[in-house]
Amino acid sequence: MNISSAIVHASPGQIALVKSGISGLNGVEIHAISPEGKFIVTIETEDDDGNVAAYESIGRLDGVMSAAMVYHQTESEPDLEVSVEPRP
Amino acid sequence: MKLTRREFIKSNAVAAAAASAGMSIPGVALAAVPQSEEGVRWDKGVCRYCGTGCGVLVGVKDGRVVATQGDPDAPVNKGLNCVKGYFLSKIMYGKDRLTKPLLRMKDGKFDKNGEFAPISWDAAFDIMAEKVKATLKEPTQGANGVAMFGSGQWTVWEGYAAVKLMKAGFRSNSIDPNARHCMASAVAGFMRTFGIDEPMGCYDDAEHADVFALWGSNMAEMHPILWSRITNRRLTANHVKIHVLSTFSHRSCELADNELIFKPQSDLAILNYICNYIIQNKAVNQEFVKKNVGFFQGVTDIGYGLRPNHPLEQVAGNNGYPGADGKPKGDPNKHTPISFDDFAKFVSEYTLDKAHEISGVPKDRLEALAKAYADPKVKVTSYWTMGFNQHTRGTWVNNMIYNVHLLVGKISEPGNSPFSLTGQPSACGTAREVGTFAHRLPADMVIFNPKHREATEKIWKLPAGALSAQMGYHAVAQSRMLKDGKIGFYWTSTTNNMQAGPNVNGEIYPGWRNPKAFVVVSDVYPTVSAMSADLILPCAMWMEKEGMFGNAERRGQMWRQQVKAPGDCKSDLWQYMEFSKRFKMEDVWPADVLAKAPEYKGKTLYEVLYANGQVNKFPKAETATVNAHAFAGYTNDESEAFGYYVQKGLFEEYAAFGRGHAHDLAPFETYHKVRGMRWPVVDGKETLWRFREGYDPYVKKGEGVRFYGYPDGKAKIFALPYQPAAESPDKEYDLWLCTGRVLEHWHTGSMTRRAPELYKSFPDAVVWMHPKDAEKRGLKRNDVVKVSTRRGEISLRVDTKGRNKPPEGLIFIPFFDEHRLVNKLTLDATCPISKETDFKKCAAKVVKA
Repeated sequence: MNISSAIVHASPGQIALVKSGISGLNGVEIHAISPEGKFIVTIETEDDDGNVAAYESIGRLDGVMSAAMVYHQTESEPDLEVSVEPRP
Repeated sequence: MKLTRREFIKSNAVAAAAASAGMSIPGVALAAVPQSEEGVRWDKGVCRYCGTGCGVLVGVKDGRVVATQGDPDAPVNKGLNCVKGYFLSKIMYGKDRLTKPLLRMKDGKFDKNGEFAPISWDAAFDIMAEKVKATLKEPTQGANGVAMFGSGQWTVWEGYAAVKLMKAGFRSNSIDPNARHCMASAVAGFMRTFGIDEPMGCYDDAEHADVFALWGSNMAEMHPILWSRITNRRLTANHVKIHVLSTFSHRSCELADNELIFKPQSDLAILNYICNYIIQNKAVNQEFVKKNVGFFQGVTDIGYGLRPNHPLEQVAGNNGYPGADGKPKGDPNKHTPISFDDFAKFVSEYTLDKAHEISGVPKDRLEALAKAYADPKVKVTSYWTMGFNQHTRGTWVNNMIYNVHLLVGKISEPGNSPFSLTGQPSACGTAREVGTFAHRLPADMVIFNPKHREATEKIWKLPAGALSAQMGYHAVAQSRMLKDGKIGFYWTSTTNNMQAGPNVNGEIYPGWRNPKAFVVVSDVYPTVSAMSADLILPCAMWMEKEGMFGNAERRGQMWRQQVKAPGDCKSDLWQYMEFSKRFKMEDVWPADVLAKAPEYKGKTLYEVLYANGQVNKFPKAETATVNAHAFAGYTNDESEAFGYYVQKGLFEEYAAFGRGHAHDLAPFETYHKVRGMRWPVVDGKETLWRFREGYDPYVKKGEGVRFYGYPDGKAKIFALPYQPAAESPDKEYDLWLCTGRVLEHWHTGSMTRRAPELYKSFPDAVVWMHPKDAEKRGLKRNDVVKVSTRRGEISLRVDTKGRNKPPEGLIFIPFFDEHRLVNKLTLDATCPISKETDFKKCAAKVVKA
């Protein structure tokens, strides 16, 4: 499984358009939108296929100025439980 | 708190993105820097791909790299990564990774026409040593017949160890990097204009400029992270404008305020027009020019870097080739002083009308660009890459962009910056600064200069005369000399010239398969080059070794070895040092040279070059202590193999070349702690803008600006004309062929084509052409066509839509696809000064397959 996060930059005045565009993509989830049009999204796919396709689809959406990856991790056992302590 | 791994990873991913974007997200309590609860160990690293030099955090679990993250503390990329960086965790784990030395054999011994069979390192070094010794003794080959083709992807110490092995050990200057194909014109441009290499500005210019001009550079696809900084600047400051100059429309044009699509080669005319505009409109910065600039006229009949029997070379009076009398025909680099008025007169013929006529660019667009450069209130940063560098007048066109910036004094200060971008992670740090070119020595020194050889011999503890002054074979010359039988031993590493070099059919392949040559390829995957070799050596890569890269803004960055390489893979560093043990000094140095250093008699090359009291100065234990802040018990494979901290020893000996000579590097330990530093680093402080007082420690108080690369402190403006390309479309071959890259693949695709996602997103090369050109030939989108030139042909599909939109008369084909080798078509014409190939212009035809 692949999980990654990206920052997507919408053109001025195009936030709603970009929001609806991203919402229509499989495995892509919006976590936050800033007032100036920066989106925090994650891309999750069960296998390797489609991860870059999703990234490319975001880049091609109307109103998207740029899309940059931040974090990427592969995981073979995504359903195992782990204990974590939130940082102060 | 209990989470599934999926939730945990996603939460970290979101936190990292939010931190990079400067946003806070309620409910996301986990830190930006990933935690190690899951057993993932994180450390700082540098991206393996382009010359931007993005910082990445590398996550290791159970001896494997499992995760990467844009490093939020890296000033270059501030936490962002492009799609290639995104798959860094996979490049080392392709299924067809080479893990054993492979030699072409028949009946148990080497045979040039045999099949590849696994052998030991010992056996591999045996046959290599035998071939080197035979080449040195062969009168038609000799020292320069022992040749190496290296890489702008070598780490700094690998390049340094290689240049020592070749120039000091085998006394051969035939070592050249693949950077010859990408950076040589930029280097020659810097050396001619400023007398010192590499950009004066830095990436911080992106946050200060009012206008950006891209010349032959598609940053949106090739330097996406820098492009995101420019995008950010454009969107947050309303007055900012972007001009994009190219021979076809591409993704960077989408953000352009002014798109200038010009006819191939006409950039020369446009640059002269801009100078003329500046002069006609009284926009010359008189004070700056008077104090800081000299004017020169360059020779013009310099040829096209083709073989001497080519008709274009026979009429060239200044190509430097041997003439009928055996003496060199002039010197393509020659230039003589002229006055400002002479220069003004020279460019005066490049009027708006003439520039429009030659370039085909609408007049209002040309004027808008010229105005931006001329307006004293507007800060301009110019970026360029291969459109300028891969050009038969590549050195000129680099000189000519500096002409523009120098005339208006827009240089060496925040936002005013002519900036040459690089394509490889250490084209600057290794190829240029270490000096792995045929004519170079470390720190901008050259083999022709006796003082430079003397200084190098002193640092390397060699007797006088140990270094040869005889020019070695550069990249394109190496291919020709292999074909002509003048090179007997050829070792290439970390590059794929059988795919990336020009005119594969005519020169490279026949050269490599010449029975007079023994060809060794060190690499990580079975590239086209590896499969064309006689011996393949399996390499350690990226996080499997300790490394240092130098990026395009003079920033040196180091990383620690994170994982072990598979199988019998060894780093290039180990290969060069271990191989040097196979030679006694008597095998490689003539008696008269050795007589001057009797203490070296009977010693091995290894003892003289590496165990020389300098490289082996730092004990193995320091490997752990220097890096103790990162993790306990650190070591690396080379320290273990040789018994001392090899990387530190090589670095410190190398750094001695630049310290005090405007190339100062910080102490070794510093680089292992910080996110890189931009040289010159003096008193612990890096330099953001060179040549200007207050920023550059080499410019004294009261000097203001000083271009100290030349003794008189002045830069040079060159009067140089527009001249046609080496080959232009005609009746039969009626289209311009331009080659280049796409976002998903890096260069020849030997790494990116192994990430399944990248392969699937862009599996096969296509030829992009204008819909009308397609229609004229009865072609539809996705039709298979045959593209041919005078040198060869390939078949591939047509694309008339999508990201690249060529004008009528031009086609574009990327070079990443090993099954559609576009370099069978390209012409091996070079800039006669820089010797860099023009991959952007030749004549082709397209017919339905």
